[in-house]
Amino acid sequence: MKKVAIVGAGQSRYGDFPEKGIKELFLESYQDMVKSVDKGMDSRRIGAAYVGNLGSGGFQLGNMSALVSEFVGLPYIHTVRVENACASGGYALISACMDVLSGAHDVVLAGGVEKMTDVSGVKQKYWLGVSGDTEYERLAGTTFAGLYALIAHRHMHEFGTTREHLSAVAVKNHKNGAQNPKAQFQKEITLEKAVKSPYVAYPLNLFDCCSTTDGASSVLVCDAELAKEFTDTPIYIAGFGSSSDYLAIHDRINTVTLEGTKRAAANAYDMAGLSAKDIQLAEVHDCFTIAELLACEDLGFCEKGKAGQFVEDGHTQIDGDRPVNASGGLKSKGHPIGATGTGQAYEMFNQLRGTVDKPARQVRDAEIGLIHNVGGSGGTVSVSILRR
Amino acid sequence: MAHVSVPMYWRTIPQRYRMVGQRCRKCDAVNFPPKGVCKYCNASFEFDEVKLSGKGKVHTFVLIGAGGAPPEFAEQEKAGGMYPVAIVELEEGPKVIGQIADVNPKDVKMDMPVSTELRKVYSEEGVIRYGFKFIPEELSR
Repeated sequence: MKKVAIVGAGQSRYGDFPEKGIKELFLESYQDMVKSVDKGMDSRRIGAAYVGNLGSGGFQLGNMSALVSEFVGLPYIHTVRVENACASGGYALISACMDVLSGAHDVVLAGGVEKMTDVSGVKQKYWLGVSGDTEYERLAGTTFAGLYALIAHRHMHEFGTTREHLSAVAVKNHKNGAQNPKAQFQKEITLEKAVKSPYVAYPLNLFDCCSTTDGASSVLVCDAELAKEFTDTPIYIAGFGSSSDYLAIHDRINTVTLEGTKRAAANAYDMAGLSAKDIQLAEVHDCFTIAELLACEDLGFCEKGKAGQFVEDGHTQIDGDRPVNASGGLKSKGHPIGATGTGQAYEMFNQLRGTVDKPARQVRDAEIGLIHNVGGSGGTVSVSILRR
Repeated sequence: MAHVSVPMYWRTIPQRYRMVGQRCRKCDAVNFPPKGVCKYCNASFEFDEVKLSGKGKVHTFVLIGAGGAPPEFAEQEKAGGMYPVAIVELEEGPKVIGQIADVNPKDVKMDMPVSTELRKVYSEEGVIRYGFKFIPEELSR
């Protein structure tokens, strides 16, 4: 069977960029990707582009993938906007893999872009509420912080997860993000500051929540047999998987497990012939601190209910035995919705090649890494396993 | 936009006002809110209407504070401070999300018994939306 390789990856800076729209952000990531292809690349080889995106500045924009593709010099290709809420980028990467595996195209671009700061605060909340269950969850008066708070509270009730456990995730991710020149918040925070920040949706406080971000990311994938034409050190996609779930939390079989994560991971592990214990580092979807704890459990890094202790004990630090979110995660690096998934692939590509921009963030000698992208409160999940 | 339009709201009035659910003709389980196919057996789309008791207990809850409220609920948060939203496990089996009313947010507890009343939820586009809210059982009339 065919295999897929990543031969280049780029990311724009993440943050608040009034002077850049979706075209300019996407171009920044695309040019960064082109620069990363060791042996150079002729853009005419790219046969397709899959672009993750939720909305363009808070509004629908038809044909947006054709727009950003032609802007970066890729007219006349098969191009599609991929929308699965915050997991759009992860699914764009999987779509690109499926395209290559099908034999339709042998060099394909997967990317994502989101422009979130063009939207006023009030519109922001109208817009971002769209990825949950609108009819019931929204009408009960919740936004995403409220939904993840419902999960967090039950997790605390069932397993004794503490305020400090949640804040430990924020502190670690800000520590890592402080070493990421492309991160939105390059600043460490203390545990005390994280614990005492004001409640947004009790039990979640301000420092449990990621921000809104402008950003883009681009990943070049190809048939593995062609990989050496682009670089001597390709990164292979050993496996991928995805799964949907009931949108509303009240419809799910378990409040404290993201079934989508478990199933997506099972598929990815199966395809790769690997298990959770083989994963040396991971970029997981920490839109809220509780989400990183759920990810550690549902991906199989630790037992159900034990992730708080697992993080507090330092296992997920850069020098721990299973670094998680060395990039700073969504929490500190930022979460430009449609770009997040392929942004994780950008980080993992560099981690596994040993080419991370700052040595303090480089995980040593890693061969196998996992990326995990969640849409909404778990309605869609994608997992990919990358291997040197 | 994520707001619930008047027509979208209007289509769910049986659920909002009277808690009308579906009893599956194949597996007898109760679906609420309604599904296209029974979510318990995943094998039948034939249902009988069933009106739920509205009684249940708090499975989990959140206190929505400043910054956590959707814009159409911001006024409520501003006027009354944090408001509780719970997922309640109903007597008939299904869980459903809703606000808890008539309670000091500090007094909301896990597993607390609640019943259901028709209340004003919010107003938007000049239309008041009514729907069910949960009331602590000890306060219910």
